[in-house]
Amino acid sequence: MTQSRPGGSRVMTPMDPDDERPLVAGLRAGDAAAFDEVYDAYRPRVFAFLLRMSRSRTVAEDLLDETWLRLVQHAHGLRPDTRLGPWLFTVARNLYWSHRRSSLVEEASVPALLGLWPFPAPWPSPFDLAAAGELQRRVERALAALSPQHREVLLLVGHEGLTPTDAAAVCGITADALRQRLSRARAALAEQLAATPAVATFTKRYAT
Amino acid sequence: MTSDNRQNDESLAAIAALRSHDVSPRRAARLRARCHAALETQSRRHAPAGRAGGVPFRRIIGPAVGGAWCLAYLLEVIRRAAAIYGF
Repeated sequence: MTQSRPGGSRVMTPMDPDDERPLVAGLRAGDAAAFDEVYDAYRPRVFAFLLRMSRSRTVAEDLLDETWLRLVQHAHGLRPDTRLGPWLFTVARNLYWSHRRSSLVEEASVPALLGLWPFPAPWPSPFDLAAAGELQRRVERALAALSPQHREVLLLVGHEGLTPTDAAAVCGITADALRQRLSRARAALAEQLAATPAVATFTKRYAT
Repeated sequence: MTSDNRQNDESLAAIAALRSHDVSPRRAARLRARCHAALETQSRRHAPAGRAGGVPFRRIIGPAVGGAWCLAYLLEVIRRAAAIYGF
């Protein structure tokens, strides 16, 4: 489910649909072991998605709870060919948008994003820490500055590895509409990244 | 590859490399326990009421026995009515 990278970061890979069938069958039968496997595999992914969408740890935690309780409530009614990733992200996304509609979330509060690093990362060296940390902060800041619609397609396709078809199903739009939205989102992200100068640039400039 | 495409690919690669996040272990364990309890409740709710030899009693055996009793009662009524009228 997760693969470690040399730099210490982890990239999520989608679960194989064939591997999911026994888990879906287990969930339908009320098997706690099957639930645990799904829970351990998808909890960090869904939480990271909700955290980046809501930009609030408290909100993300509440929505995560609700997402998993929804899965349990609907476990017996799952179709045998249910794709758990898209199912969970659909629920999480819908809960986020419901929350956003019912509360006055201030989307311009980009500085709150600085609190997104709750645990120290095991970077191999101080240089890697500085370089990777800086890049990630820039990307996080750029992502946070995007509209939620652009942010969600970038996270679903770029970070969670969903196919455009699955991501379109999660977002409730057609695959063509998602590709267009993704293209615009990538352009917006590139624009934001270009507008956010790297710290290294300043360092180099002042050093010379 | 155009410079725009290259930049887009780099931005998507940067998103893919973003670090993961998780809730605290204590919160994760608490949510797991809540879900286990809910899963058990749901399982009890959806469990069949009774089984006889692998056949759901409520769906097959119950209606079959009830139907047989009704049929026997109806036949007995017809038989007695026929006896009264001399058939």
